[in-house]
Amino acid sequence: MKSFRNEPILELRRAPARESLASALRELDERLPLEVPVLIGGDRGPADGFESTDPGAPGRVVATAGRGGEAEAAAAVEAAQRGFREWSARPAAERAQVLRRAAALLRERRLELAALQVRECAKPWPEADGDVCEAIDFLEYYALEAVELERGRPLVQVPGERNTMRYAPRGVAAVIAPWNFPLAIPCGMTAAALAAGNAAVLKPAEQSPASAGVLVQALHDAGVPRDALALVPGFGEAGAALVRDPRVHVIAFTGSSAVGLEILRASAETPQAQSHVKRVVSEMGGKNCVIVDSDADLDDVVPELVYSAFGYAGQKCSAAARALVHEAVADTLLERLGGAVQVLTVGQAESFATEVPPVIERDAQERVDRYAEQAGDAVVARVEDVPDAGWFCPPTVAADLPEDSPVVREEIFGPLLAVTRVRSVDHACEIVESLPFALTGGLFSRSPATVERVAARLPVGNLYVNRGITGAMVGRQPFGGNRRSGIGSKAGGPDYLLQFVEPRVVTENTMRHGIPVE
Amino acid sequence: MEQDLQRVGRSIHAAFPGKSRHPLRAFDQKAMDFAAHDAELKAALFRFVDVTPACRSLDDLARHLTGYLDEVDERPPPIEAAMRMSGTKPGRAALGAAAAAGVRRMAHRFIVGETPKAALRTIRHLWESGAAVSLDLLGEATVTEAEADRYAERCMDALETLSAAAPSWPEQPVLERDSLGPLPRVNLSVKVSALSPLLRPEAPAVGAADAARRMRPLLVRAKELGAHLHIDMESVDTLESTMELVIDLLGEPELSDGPSAGVVLQAYLRESPEQLARVAEWARTSGRGYPLVVRLVKGAYWDHEVVDARQHGWTPPVFEEKRESDRNFETLTRELLGAWPHVRPAIASHNLRSVAHAVAANRALGRADGDVELQVLRGLGDELAAALAEQGMRVRIYCPVGDLVAGMAYLVRRLLENTANESFLGEQQRGVPIEELLAAP
Repeated sequence: MKSFRNEPILELRRAPARESLASALRELDERLPLEVPVLIGGDRGPADGFESTDPGAPGRVVATAGRGGEAEAAAAVEAAQRGFREWSARPAAERAQVLRRAAALLRERRLELAALQVRECAKPWPEADGDVCEAIDFLEYYALEAVELERGRPLVQVPGERNTMRYAPRGVAAVIAPWNFPLAIPCGMTAAALAAGNAAVLKPAEQSPASAGVLVQALHDAGVPRDALALVPGFGEAGAALVRDPRVHVIAFTGSSAVGLEILRASAETPQAQSHVKRVVSEMGGKNCVIVDSDADLDDVVPELVYSAFGYAGQKCSAAARALVHEAVADTLLERLGGAVQVLTVGQAESFATEVPPVIERDAQERVDRYAEQAGDAVVARVEDVPDAGWFCPPTVAADLPEDSPVVREEIFGPLLAVTRVRSVDHACEIVESLPFALTGGLFSRSPATVERVAARLPVGNLYVNRGITGAMVGRQPFGGNRRSGIGSKAGGPDYLLQFVEPRVVTENTMRHGIPVE
Repeated sequence: MEQDLQRVGRSIHAAFPGKSRHPLRAFDQKAMDFAAHDAELKAALFRFVDVTPACRSLDDLARHLTGYLDEVDERPPPIEAAMRMSGTKPGRAALGAAAAAGVRRMAHRFIVGETPKAALRTIRHLWESGAAVSLDLLGEATVTEAEADRYAERCMDALETLSAAAPSWPEQPVLERDSLGPLPRVNLSVKVSALSPLLRPEAPAVGAADAARRMRPLLVRAKELGAHLHIDMESVDTLESTMELVIDLLGEPELSDGPSAGVVLQAYLRESPEQLARVAEWARTSGRGYPLVVRLVKGAYWDHEVVDARQHGWTPPVFEEKRESDRNFETLTRELLGAWPHVRPAIASHNLRSVAHAVAANRALGRADGDVELQVLRGLGDELAAALAEQGMRVRIYCPVGDLVAGMAYLVRRLLENTANESFLGEQQRGVPIEELLAAP
């Protein structure tokens, strides 16, 4: 890649870096609650429709936001149609420059933005800082990619004709974003749409409007025309209205499987008034498995597995939900894993010692608890001592559940890891293949032949070998799932922008009365 | 002083024992020579060493070995022959057995025994030949409370075992006393990361407090037994925890009059001069009854630190050129000598130039040779230790104890060190002339 480099995360092992974040949080706290209005064209709507709260202290209001509904969605799309004409007319290099300016603005505010995630999503510092860096990475990366894409692709040429292939933006993109990467994911999807020349309407998750608010502000300040980017905070009704709107061309969604599949269904309808087929980028759930072979180094496996399963309370799309462990090392691994889980620090995200923060909301807490109950006697390790205030879930390990248990088949999205003994790596692969999802996967093996065999066989979008399975980096690990986990568009990779453009080929006859022009 | 340094260096060099001392050495050396000349082959062999304890059968061993060798483009004839053997089951069994024996032999070169008790004979032998020992307990990574407790118990057992045996060792005046007073016969090195599963780089105080809980009884017992406890330094991720722990614990009133204790300073760290200033200042003002021993090393986590920093987009915390580390080592040596008598300097290096520099700089201050300790690693610095002892210097050999599984990470680190092209030992083996070996960095 030409000159892309990932934004360095803060060196949190150094006291001054930690102090700078703690002080950013103190400053942020004085300004809470933030206001996040509906932003359409030049208009700022009211910001009193709903609240986002601190999952670790639900009484604390982090932001008040305008509640966009059908009317706001329609108005935003209308403005975006206008904005599209202006924005798409700019050359890619100019759009790239705007995105890079937005990256610089986020960079300036990175401490504050990390602090905001600590409060709004209870994201621990290392992950919050990583999220901000990833957002910056998306802007920089897609800026470069857009310029590259504008060159088109080389085609076969013969005398007397000139063939060119270029990519044109599609139109209005609706971006429907999740809360778990409250800045990076909305930023990635929006930046890709804009980089490719589309206009965008961003509907952030109702749990995290504030980070999206800062993002839209930064993009506007950097030079994205107001009409070309609208912010519609709100709930499902706003998202559904955007998906149904016949003037929307692309829908970029990251979230649950249920909603993702519904979006695919709804967007397949093509009413008479709609002059195009909608393109849907849908990144959905997972049930990510880590395979541990008998020759694995358990000194590495335990910490990497614990972090993959319990970091950010298991609320990353890439998080480990299952470990499939060779029976020769299963007892040893379970004992060490159980002990390592017992010493996890469960607490408020703002503490640098915290490894497992609360989950995002009460519903999530209840869902995780339900699955933990279903695991019943299979629970082999659990941190019972978790804070009362806030949506905390006890980190839990269950072992040897039957293959038809919902605990080992359904996405839980919380701090619950199921360990299953397998006879061999191939047995583990069979289990992975039996699941409907294929997002991330892990393999711990020190045999080159095993690594190659598993890499060739598993359908997962991202396979991590001998390391944790979270933390994909833009440009280094293009991210996204296959099967029912996603459409394979790979955010942060060289194929992603193609989702936001349509290819056009021009073939020109260059002969004039037998005189070749070239 | 440079002239003096050259003289000291040459006389140590002249005192090196002949190569014939270790008949097995030649064989291991062959494997390491292979490794040193080809990065791919080196990676393959070290990966194999690393996986050895996890292999379940000779067949499994052979399959792993050939799996790694298969990735090497240009294989020397002996390796090619090994690949051919792996085609049949009996061939694999033979190959697996030979390879396992090779790894065990290498491990025995670096690890003095499976337990402190099993190591006693070697330790006594070293003492009789003029070298003291610091025992180091190898272990798997500590990820649970139980593992931390077990490590602490092993440390306690090591203190007891060594203390019970030490009185029967013959007198060795050079090893038992310097100008500041008596030196403990028993010396144990401990790792903070093994004493707690809670070490987190972004929350150093938590791990430090948890490790302190297990370190305190060890210090108390060491004081009762008159033993020395040395707190090792590991990667930068645990640096702050370790420093915090040492300074807090040794400052406690209960421990103000003992035991003798020490810390480590890594010269490859860019921040090491500031660390030394901090430690020296603390030693000067702590009012402890014992001078703080500061072991100066180059640092053994260089590859880890550089790769970790590069992956995160950070400036590596270590000097990237070996010469810079070597220069810094000399600067820090002089600073340490300057901090005497609050600090007892222990210079740990296999680099003849670094060692000669320490001896000469100490003499230049008018002090006795015994006022600076010289340390080497078991398996790497044995010949240097013999030469230094022969010259009447005070030598200590860092001796790891543990089983093969636990020792593997250590073993690989040592092998990496021994085969690095620019390492002093590598240069020495290649027959680099003494002028170059002693040249200023």
